[in-house]
Amino acid sequence: MNRKVSPTQQIFPADLLSKGHEELKGMPDDELVSAYESMRDDEVATDHTYPNIRRLYGTSLEREKDRREIGARVDECGTEMQEWYEKARNEPCTWWLKNHLVAKHALKSCIACGVCTSRCPAAQYYPEYNPRAIVDVALSDNEDRLVELLKSEVLWYCGQCGSCKPLCPLENNLMGLISSLRFLAQLKGYHLHSVRGRQQYAMRHLCGGNLWNRACTLYFRNITAEGHPDFGPRYAKYQSEAEGQMVRLGANPDRPGHFGGRKLPPQTLAEFRSCLASGGTLVLWNQLEEYASEDARKSGVSIDEYHDRVHRQG
Amino acid sequence: MQVALVLSSLGMPSVLVEKSPILGGRVPKLSRTFPFFNDDGFHDGKEFTDAMERDLRATPLIDVRCSTVVSALRGAFPNFTVELGDGSSIAAGAVVVATGFTPFDPTSLKEYGYEAYPNVITATELEWMLNPRGPTGGRLVRPSDGKDAQRLAIVFCVGSRNKRIGAPFCSRICCSYSTKQASTVMERNPKALVACFYMDVRTYDRGFEEMYSLAQERGVRYIRGRVSMCRQLPDGSISVRAENTLLNRPFTGEFDLVSLSTGMRPCEDVNQLASSLGITCGPDGFFLCREWFRHPHDATRDGVFLAGCATGMKPIRNCMIDGAAVAARVTALLREARA
Amino acid sequence: MATATIAPETIKEIPENDFFLTPSCILGAINPGTEILISRIYDLLGLRWKAAGDRAESQCTCCTGFSSHGDLISIESTLLVTARLWSVATEIGIENITTACVTSFAIHNECLEMYKHEPELYERVDRWLQQACGRRLQIPKHVVHASDIMYRNREALAEKLRYRLVDHNTGRPLRIVDHVGCHYAKVFPEKSIGGSESCDVLAGLIRAWGGETVDYPERRHCCGMGFRQCAIRPNRGYTMACVLKKLESMEPWKPDAILTNCPGCNLFLDKEQWAILQMTGVEYNIPTLSYTELAGLLLGWDPYDVVGIQAHTVPVEPLLDKLGIPYDKSKEWLTKENLEVT
Repeated sequence: MNRKVSPTQQIFPADLLSKGHEELKGMPDDELVSAYESMRDDEVATDHTYPNIRRLYGTSLEREKDRREIGARVDECGTEMQEWYEKARNEPCTWWLKNHLVAKHALKSCIACGVCTSRCPAAQYYPEYNPRAIVDVALSDNEDRLVELLKSEVLWYCGQCGSCKPLCPLENNLMGLISSLRFLAQLKGYHLHSVRGRQQYAMRHLCGGNLWNRACTLYFRNITAEGHPDFGPRYAKYQSEAEGQMVRLGANPDRPGHFGGRKLPPQTLAEFRSCLASGGTLVLWNQLEEYASEDARKSGVSIDEYHDRVHRQG
Repeated sequence: MQVALVLSSLGMPSVLVEKSPILGGRVPKLSRTFPFFNDDGFHDGKEFTDAMERDLRATPLIDVRCSTVVSALRGAFPNFTVELGDGSSIAAGAVVVATGFTPFDPTSLKEYGYEAYPNVITATELEWMLNPRGPTGGRLVRPSDGKDAQRLAIVFCVGSRNKRIGAPFCSRICCSYSTKQASTVMERNPKALVACFYMDVRTYDRGFEEMYSLAQERGVRYIRGRVSMCRQLPDGSISVRAENTLLNRPFTGEFDLVSLSTGMRPCEDVNQLASSLGITCGPDGFFLCREWFRHPHDATRDGVFLAGCATGMKPIRNCMIDGAAVAARVTALLREARA
Repeated sequence: MATATIAPETIKEIPENDFFLTPSCILGAINPGTEILISRIYDLLGLRWKAAGDRAESQCTCCTGFSSHGDLISIESTLLVTARLWSVATEIGIENITTACVTSFAIHNECLEMYKHEPELYERVDRWLQQACGRRLQIPKHVVHASDIMYRNREALAEKLRYRLVDHNTGRPLRIVDHVGCHYAKVFPEKSIGGSESCDVLAGLIRAWGGETVDYPERRHCCGMGFRQCAIRPNRGYTMACVLKKLESMEPWKPDAILTNCPGCNLFLDKEQWAILQMTGVEYNIPTLSYTELAGLLLGWDPYDVVGIQAHTVPVEPLLDKLGIPYDKSKEWLTKENLEVT
């Protein structure tokens, strides 16, 4: 990945917000990050709000800044788990099943009773989805079958509800197994072989971007009316006055404090980011960027177009 | 009963101590036995146990004590003193434990809705309903409204083969008794819909597989998938959900009546008995035998023996075989000890 | 028609006081009133609670639950983030975590379980936590969901309610569907009140406050939120289908409302009803409330200023009419544009 560091810091103007990846990629890391942070931390003294956050979230600028920061963090980090995940990427899938903290405890044996599939909401909705069959693949210890599963669409149909869990007579953790396999699929790039898998790039920036920048999976402005027409006109109305309604109810949107939409102190964000990094998550995020970049290049589109595209395809 | 009868044929006297007022355990309420349905010419369980009881009351060598319990066992083989609940005591050379089993109570498995939904019953209740001596004269009805039940679902493995609830074992007989029940319903009402939801069909013994084939020929449907949920519909019918694992599809069906083929648990007072008799139980809760192959009927205390379902649910025929084997062993040991 | 009662099989230990309240991503983003109401109810009951430590770096963060089930977070990162939250609680002397979100509840419990299965994990996470942010790993005494606290105090709250869950004109107890979050009751059923099949955490509230529960076939079916299924628009058909399945199943019992304890369920069981109307023409119009919103309304708190019912897609006012709770509809919106509602 291209990263540059400049000798001096400069503050760039706000029209940075409208720039796409192509225009930003030449900008040095530290300038990009400090421009973002200075915009983010620009505070209105009278009401202690941070009016630029709403302009920064979900932009190409934020994504590019994330790419650089996370790339740099992965380079310098070198924690035990980061190394473990970097190694795991090159090991067979069968190795993962025996060594990953969740996968190794997930399954012992299966009598194929079908209780999991019969309670699974996804199995009722997607005719080709069968969680019991996934258990069969995992227990087969067969690398080819595992790779085929990781490249398939069906791996991504699970809604992680856990309906399969309470009644399994052998106390298997199928929900955890699927989650673990999905992580592996992304680490190895197998997710690129399915439409649903490629959506993970969009997830990476939607949820991952919110976590990295706001330590909260969802930012209240993410849930736009245009993006959620199924929520109806009442929601659109509420969303148009969301900030005011939140203040009315006692939340702190784009302000310091507790509850919804709050802006965290930088020290808290730093601790949170360290926890993410130390646990090895950034290896995945970095990898997702590399795979997406390559996939975008093969499709002949810019990374921004690719990002938007995978958000819309299902 | 068989132990006492065989002992008497060998000239050995015995005292038969029975907790309840009647003899025969769970057999008298059976609507019919399997695998041949009129095995030995008996039409139902009570005819069989009545015949056994007639025989044992005919010999002076057997002293029958009903509504009596054993409270303690003193002494050692071959000179025990058995203390009874009524305060009296008996001198005995050996003790045979034939205290049977308890059917698993499915109330704790909330997914089946037993107790909450009137049309979900146990196999024991189904059996009594099918019995012409029973509450409906042998007619299959929906307890919720008394109407005829045309659609019956039989759920296998309720309370068995389930590590999660601490019962990893197979109860062995449920597949067979369920098949008997299903076959009975179809025989009496060929228009009925009977579906058995199984994980495996373990009709393992002589004549059992043939009974299973007959059931299918009569039109019993077998669907391979463990039932995960029973829910009551507005009219009282039950919606049953499982996966049809052979077709890889979730299945939901509506039934008038759902019978839970419950597995086995040790007899209710197993721990009390183990303690008062000075014997131990295995990890599955049933009494433990001393040697698996050569002395499968010896309990872990000299002079105490085990017969029948006290070591796990088994067909009537195997209980009878156990009874004869134990009687022979006790007789041989006592004669040797007294020689 | 009579509704079956399935007796709960387990009652778990719920702490009495001193709570560290962790927030929810979804509630904070879409239904902020419901979350803030937890703190208001704690105050009403005189319970001690805190949502952050005293130092600037000791604020609450996401537990990473949504992203973890969105397959973006390594389990070790989740262990560290939750360990950090536990450390913040410890710092201010609190041993009981109460989560606003059920996914958080399951995540915290998953971490607790991990330490039991992997004997050396505790030392490793403690070491990583120290290296990452200078904190120490300390297992909390209790991790419960905020609805557990509500359940424990349901009788105490019942005494303070101004309104009961009955139709104030006829005295008929209202029929309330209890929809318990999957991550509350199914992932660690032994840690819920009543287990996965007979969960009582919401049914208990309904009974205590004068209402009637509804037992319908798809009672324990997931709402379909599905994390990545709802987050990525083309996948959301799944969510919609799950909601429709539940609505169709409960309809014969004509429920007056749906009660939830999960942010995702609260969101989708409410909002997808509009899409379902558009696609099927069927108007279910079943108001969907969280346990805190219902409590707030029955306590007589302002529906718009405090409870925040305006955030709901299915109008809640018809339910208020049944309950006999007055409201000033003009307070609903901040800008005075008329908007027709389904």
